[in-house]
Amino acid sequence: MAATEARIASASNGNGLVARAEGLSKRYPPAVTALDGVSFAVRPGEFVAVLGPSGAGKTTLFRCLTGLTRPDRGTVTVAGRDIWQSPRELRRARRELALIFQQFNLIRRLSALENVLVGRLAHVPTWRVISRSFTRADRQLALGCLDTVGLLDRAGTRADELSGGQQQRVAIARALAQRAKVILADEPVASLDPESSATVLASLRSAVSAGVAVVASLHQVHLAREYADRIVALRGGRIVEDTPASRLGTRAIEQIYGRNGEQGQS
Amino acid sequence: MATVVKPVVEYPDPVAAWGSGRRLRFVLVLLLLTAFYSASWHLAKVDPGRLLTGLPKMAGWASKAWPPATDELPVLLLRTAETIAMAAIGTTAAALLALPLCVVAARNVTPSLALYYPARWFLNALRGVDSFVFALLFVAAVGLGPFAGVLGIALHTWGSTAKLWAEAIENIPPGPLEAAAATGASRVKVIAYALFPDVAPSMVSVGLFWWEFNVRASTVLGVVGAGGIGQELKNSMDLLLFPRLLTIILLILVTVTVIDHTSEWLRRKLE
Repeated sequence: MAATEARIASASNGNGLVARAEGLSKRYPPAVTALDGVSFAVRPGEFVAVLGPSGAGKTTLFRCLTGLTRPDRGTVTVAGRDIWQSPRELRRARRELALIFQQFNLIRRLSALENVLVGRLAHVPTWRVISRSFTRADRQLALGCLDTVGLLDRAGTRADELSGGQQQRVAIARALAQRAKVILADEPVASLDPESSATVLASLRSAVSAGVAVVASLHQVHLAREYADRIVALRGGRIVEDTPASRLGTRAIEQIYGRNGEQGQS
Repeated sequence: MATVVKPVVEYPDPVAAWGSGRRLRFVLVLLLLTAFYSASWHLAKVDPGRLLTGLPKMAGWASKAWPPATDELPVLLLRTAETIAMAAIGTTAAALLALPLCVVAARNVTPSLALYYPARWFLNALRGVDSFVFALLFVAAVGLGPFAGVLGIALHTWGSTAKLWAEAIENIPPGPLEAAAATGASRVKVIAYALFPDVAPSMVSVGLFWWEFNVRASTVLGVVGAGGIGQELKNSMDLLLFPRLLTIILLILVTVTVIDHTSEWLRRKLE
């Protein structure tokens, strides 16, 4: 009983949400409206797929959520912190929010393990970073994350010697090592072959079962249906669909991507 | 009808439209170049006749120089070692000074543009003054000897190394840095952990190049009194001791060749 009440209380003051965007708008003058009043919230431990045609505003949304782009209007709250309040708040908020990129963005000359340890940078003192002497606990945590994505045996391999799919799994391990509340992935499988895509999405799925929320933009509807709990669709900078993945019908898909006649419009 | 074979529209031909203007420009450039080189010829006082009369003199010296003098070899070897030491200390000092400044002078990681521009100007000024000129000034300030040479090398190399390092930093892909910064890590941590491993090999390569360059450069620093083998070179020339001069030139050649090859081998190993 008490637990339920506590949960209701925390939900009502916004603490039950790991990330929340409110009325986000972003225009790129002169003529592009990338986001037009987007609001949505991410609950702990859910996998949200963001769908939408090219130019729908997916990347701008991700950049706004991570503080890489400042929206013209609207607020972003991550783990209860308003990320635009101060640079310090932004840095604090970023610890709770891990990013995965389409191009992996690993440090080429460092090993897989050293790349995973990037996830610990914000948590260790500066002298440890400069001297590259991470604690045993941090190294064990990083190795555990590599084990989760199935790459423990490649811990010592240089990042640029791994395949694309393996690099993306190292990037996921890096995100896991951050011990963040939410992982944001902008087109994580867009440059991977179908087989690697499946392994990468399965790794993200396993993060969700460990209680982390995942927000990933995807191009393929069938992948979104297979891996996500919830689907948010963007079109022309607005949310046109926000529904449990199981209920996404053909009609909604047509609405997201446009019927054949409208397809070239964006 | 004739209109059927003739095209109704004449297509604009970019090459033809360009042609006349292009030809005019070519003639203009040619005239400018001719003016430039004839002015330079006069200013440089080029006189092949004097070279022809001077050549037999040089041939006379060459015949008198053989065999090279060996009696002072220990001293000359010591001076050669002095030259290498000057280059090593000067280049290392320059590298240590360049390390913080190259970060400030790299557009993609500089803490602020208000520091970036002054840093660039400062480095360009250092680079613009040759180590030879710096050495000349330092001989007046700290006295004759290799230390003045070390200071000269250090200052000029500081500017050159930091500029090349800054360019190496600007050329690395931004993604990994963005990824590290996005974890909430501070700028210092991002630079130390994500940036330096990526640029370290090219930085070491640049450093080796400057060490090698400075060994060559410091062979002449002695001419202005800044120590090393160059000082002996000047003395021998002044006293017309040709066999000794030949020994010195041979020593310089051997040293420079060995250093060049070592540095090249090391740089190739880095890649």
